[in-house]
Amino acid sequence: MADPTPGAAPIIRFEGVRKAFGEQVVLEDLSVELAAGETSVIMGPSGVGKSVFLKLLVGLLPPDTGQIHVFDVDVTRAREPELRSVRKRLGMLFQDGALFDSMSVAENVAFPLRRHTRKRDPEIRDIVADKLERVGLPGVQEKMPSELSGGMRRRVGLARAIVLDPEIVLFDEPTSGLDPITSDAIDRLIGRMKGELGITFVVISHDIVGSFRIADRIGMLYNGRLIAFGTPDQVRHSEDPVLRRFLGRNLQLPPLPAERASEQP
Amino acid sequence: MGSLRFLRALGAYGYFVWDCTRFTLRYGTRWERVILETYRVGIRALPILLVMAVFVGTNVAIQGYTAFATLGAGNMVGMFVSMAGVRELCPLLAGVMVAAKTGTELAAQLAVMRTREQIDALEVMAVNPHAELVAPSFFAVVIALPLLTLVGLATSLASAYAVAVYQLGVSPGEYSDYVWSNISRLDLINALVKSMVYGVVISTVSGFFGFFSEKGPEGVGRATNHAVVTMCIVCITATYLLTAIFYG
Repeated sequence: MADPTPGAAPIIRFEGVRKAFGEQVVLEDLSVELAAGETSVIMGPSGVGKSVFLKLLVGLLPPDTGQIHVFDVDVTRAREPELRSVRKRLGMLFQDGALFDSMSVAENVAFPLRRHTRKRDPEIRDIVADKLERVGLPGVQEKMPSELSGGMRRRVGLARAIVLDPEIVLFDEPTSGLDPITSDAIDRLIGRMKGELGITFVVISHDIVGSFRIADRIGMLYNGRLIAFGTPDQVRHSEDPVLRRFLGRNLQLPPLPAERASEQP
Repeated sequence: MGSLRFLRALGAYGYFVWDCTRFTLRYGTRWERVILETYRVGIRALPILLVMAVFVGTNVAIQGYTAFATLGAGNMVGMFVSMAGVRELCPLLAGVMVAAKTGTELAAQLAVMRTREQIDALEVMAVNPHAELVAPSFFAVVIALPLLTLVGLATSLASAYAVAVYQLGVSPGEYSDYVWSNISRLDLINALVKSMVYGVVISTVSGFFGFFSEKGPEGVGRATNHAVVTMCIVCITATYLLTAIFYG
């Protein structure tokens, strides 16, 4: 690993995590620390266990061995009430938004507020409007999820993920299956929100350009192992042959940090 | 190998029911949703149930009359109708209708939610999916089925009356006497207990297959399919056991 010790204090810690499904080992001896306030992107080809990484992190799957600490709670051993209190402090954007089909956009975004707070309707309406505006979708409250495009569904999913003002937001392939222009818009949105909210983002992606654009730290999963973890520059200049091959698929390497700065809206 | 898989599935089902019970006790359920669901279960099954109950009443009356007529006791048709209809056919019929309408819908709905990661999303939002999704349907079906059974009973007795009196020429008094003297309190308790057991089976079995569905359209289809077949087998087995307990 290029740089296993990030600058800021770790908010998420994987220690010797192994996960297998039957004979197939998805993650092997995975240890990594993700720093508070940073955007960490875990990249890798399809089917290397990136989504499993996120599901382990939120306690949806138990690892075979190892520990996973989120906010200093070991989610692998936490009892249900403790796990719930961890989950209330994080938000997650699922691949296609995972919006509830029978609810309108406003009801979807308001759902965590109604379940976990005693806020009244007018206040909930204001918060929903604010969050939708933050994700660039003002005025879509009354639409149903089926009326939205893939990119819009993800934005609404993001509004729902941040509605309780979480300390960590997780993104599962936020741009997969989207056209380049929409992907670009989602990447910019993630970058902008990180600046505005100052919270910890963990992104799972196989989109090289997008990953380099939004990441403070990039990790590369391959064959169940984290073969690199460091700043975008460290990863970009890594000599690891697998990493070179993965990045080399993108003939034009991502823009340098100087160019990135000038691209920001 | 097959029996091992069956035992594993049985264990998983038992654990699912246990999870539904403890999480519903811990977190409660949304009663406004239960009321809405009960109404929907009842309204959806009612038209087809009425048609089937009429069919049961009329056919059982004719069959009963024919059978008793050979013994020279055609006027005892009311006894046959009340025994067959009240004890067995009406509860089972209501159960099958609700299984076909609500059970399949619950299995498919949960399977789609599993496929689209909405169940995972609930968990990550710290909302328990057992209490949120399965419990309201459970209460709705367990409340609605006995009511539907009573409606089915009344309809089948009324339609049998129409056939017996107007078509077969049995006197109204004799029909009523044989019906009421053969419906005991035990028969009604038996019918209501059976329908509630069907309600438990329908909601938990369809919930189980939907909840643990494989992802994708095939998974949704398979979950619905397995739910229907299993519901039917378990309901019919339960019918036998309950009949043996009540009348054996």
